[in-house]
Amino acid sequence: MTNSRLKALISLLSALFLTASLTACAGGENEDASLTIYSGRSQEFIEPFFAAFTEATGIELDVRYGDSAALAAQILEEGDNSPADLFLSQDAGALGAVAGAKLLASLDQSLLERVASNYRAPSKDWVAITGRARVLAYAPDRLAALPTSIDELIAENWKGRLAIAPTNSSFQAFITAMIQTRGEAATETWLRALQKNSPKLYEKNSLIVQAIDAGDVDAGLVNHYYTWEVAEELGREINVKNSFFSPEDLGNLVNVSGAGILRTSKQQSLASELIAFLLSDEEQARFVVDTHEYSIVLPELRPEGLPALNEIKAPRVDLANLSDLKRTQALLIKVGLL
Amino acid sequence: MTIIGQKNASQANGAKHRGAPSLALIAAGLFTLAAAALPVAYLIRRALQIDSELLRTVLFRAKTLEIFITTISLVLAVVAFATLIGISIAWALSNVDLPGLALLRALVILPVAIPSYVFTYSWLSLGFLPNGFLAAVVVLTLTTTPYVTLAALAAFRRIDGAQLDVAQTLGLNQLESFFRVTFPQIRNAVGAGSLIVALYVLSDFGAVSLLGVDTFTRAIQNTYQGSFDRSSAALLALILVAISSLVIYFEISFRQRSTLLKSSVRITRRLPALRTLKSRAWALSAILLYILVALLTPLLVLLQRFFSRITPIDLTELLIASLSTISVSLLGALIAMVLAIPVALLAVRETWIGRWSERAVLLVHALPGIVMGLALVSFGSEFPLIYQTTGLLAFAYSILFLARSVGSIRTSFAKVPINLTEIASTLGQTKSRIFYRVTLPLAAPGVLTGTLLVFLSAMKELPATLMLRPTGFETLATEIWNNTAIFRFSEAAPYALLLVAIAAIPTFLISRPDRDSERGELQ
Repeated sequence: MTNSRLKALISLLSALFLTASLTACAGGENEDASLTIYSGRSQEFIEPFFAAFTEATGIELDVRYGDSAALAAQILEEGDNSPADLFLSQDAGALGAVAGAKLLASLDQSLLERVASNYRAPSKDWVAITGRARVLAYAPDRLAALPTSIDELIAENWKGRLAIAPTNSSFQAFITAMIQTRGEAATETWLRALQKNSPKLYEKNSLIVQAIDAGDVDAGLVNHYYTWEVAEELGREINVKNSFFSPEDLGNLVNVSGAGILRTSKQQSLASELIAFLLSDEEQARFVVDTHEYSIVLPELRPEGLPALNEIKAPRVDLANLSDLKRTQALLIKVGLL
Repeated sequence: MTIIGQKNASQANGAKHRGAPSLALIAAGLFTLAAAALPVAYLIRRALQIDSELLRTVLFRAKTLEIFITTISLVLAVVAFATLIGISIAWALSNVDLPGLALLRALVILPVAIPSYVFTYSWLSLGFLPNGFLAAVVVLTLTTTPYVTLAALAAFRRIDGAQLDVAQTLGLNQLESFFRVTFPQIRNAVGAGSLIVALYVLSDFGAVSLLGVDTFTRAIQNTYQGSFDRSSAALLALILVAISSLVIYFEISFRQRSTLLKSSVRITRRLPALRTLKSRAWALSAILLYILVALLTPLLVLLQRFFSRITPIDLTELLIASLSTISVSLLGALIAMVLAIPVALLAVRETWIGRWSERAVLLVHALPGIVMGLALVSFGSEFPLIYQTTGLLAFAYSILFLARSVGSIRTSFAKVPINLTEIASTLGQTKSRIFYRVTLPLAAPGVLTGTLLVFLSAMKELPATLMLRPTGFETLATEIWNNTAIFRFSEAAPYALLLVAIAAIPTFLISRPDRDSERGELQ
């Protein structure tokens, strides 16, 4: 390399270095008027709500998007040094992990009372924001009779036709619910019967819905809103419908996304304001329309074409119990699904 | 002229002649060693918190053995195929008279710019890639082959055609002269490339998770995700560290202590190019086939998605994400260069600090990004001033990918003829002056290649980026993730295409012949 070219390279690099360090400094300013949020909910779906909040209150939000579980692990590592004020999670398990480490502050009674008692932490340090129902997604032309119970899925005629996502937290929450209601032994029997039917395994719910549409499988256990997500991505109608099981069947479990405030946050009241905003009637109604989720404040609202939350009759389970999650994983490992 | 030196004896001599390392060099080497030890120390601390019952469940369940076997088989299969294909492509590019050589060289390297998640998804969406182990072997082989190709290309170009003439005069046929003259001269470089492939496979998450192959990296990720159990995850990661140590040990014992020494940088005669129509047709179609499956197919899928997306492109977002990606990755590459040069110099001198820092750097390379991210979160969050700054993120990149540059930098320092530095020394030049005037200019192409490789790798890094970036700082990789996480593959396409386009520039620089061959004359 000639000297002049080396010099050019060095000056270019130092210029970039300067830019980068300036950007880094800029991040540290004006912390007072703003809230730092760790959001396990994806930017696409939650950002409009954040923007509405900033517009209504003038409070700026610095949002770090990531995977709920990875963000929970990050908060656990940060401990008392966490820069986060509020943790917004896709699922109850991640909130339970952070709450279990005593890193969340108790929420105001007024916030907790916005939702039914099974949609908030018994430890009072997090509250659900939206509901996500487990459903059987299926191809209407290939599934003549719809099953009314998850126990029909382990019958012989389902061999090779069902898809599940065992590494996904939504499936694990479903198994946790089964252990809580039926006990570990009965759950193991169910899982082994399921395993015997050689279900197809996928990494994500969205991949299952896509596989049903493509004809690779006939049905799959997923969350209800993926049919919209996949149809929007593919830009066309898809050959997949959602079906609920009969009322109170375990297959109708409702998972939640939720929020908690970090104990170390110096912006407790601003953070409470954001949770109150997300739980307001207006925003709750918006979740049902925009993200096709269930409102847990207004259970009579229904995502287009689906029954309302109070008609599904979801089984009652404690979604926050972390020791149960470990038991679930141990069981899934034991039967060979993890 | 070329002098074929006595093996070992002359190399030991060489190491001695390069002189004792200065204190500054030792300090720099120790710093890198400490930085690389950071994540391992973190893992040990976390793993020690595990309770004994859980320890037994994690260590002695049948699944752990299964994961072990899967991981090892995947590494062996991918390394074997990638090495074979990489050497073949490099051989063809160096020995056959091909049209558009400069372009071909760049195109066979460019697949490194496609994140393995995007690559796998593109192939999956075409519908004929089955799930499972074989698919993972195919996908990972295609994405990692460039690391071998690049190393082999550089090595082939250092071979003196005159030696092959001598071999032929002495009665060796083509094949014999490849194994007795060519191969000994490329084996160290190829070994280093294959090692990078092995470590890449060990740490890959994108491909194995989408294809449902249970490797340690996937198990580690699932442990965090499912049970938030950091101790078990740390334990699994330590098993991964043990496996990587084995892999690194094998590479080191495969490494020959010396290659042929030359009295001058001048190559007497370039390799003769094969000009027969048959050889040219075969070589060209093989290379084009590789480019088709490893580069064009994912690019075409991305383009198809790009044009089928519904939302308009946000040009500002694209621009910001590109500039963020370039600046933080370049900064990381620069730090890696500053850290790698002392390690390479110490390794060439065969000092223990050099050996151990090089090994530590390689070891860290096999860690999943999430582990590296959490280790730096654990360490960095103690210091609010640096935590979640681009500086810390760039530092993380430099440590994660140092291994990709150290190999090529070490090789190029090792190739600097000792007699040149000796002559400079007898002319009364000081050590540092010799380094800047003689050694560094001669090794510059290798240093640049290594640095650009770190840049390419940092550009597509995801898990550590998500944790360590300043809040609100979006790179191309995080924007791709933002969209693919909610299945918006079409919306991710512009970012992925831009990532490949930006990566094409350093790739072209790396693949240019005057970048990785030694200069014919001194300046």
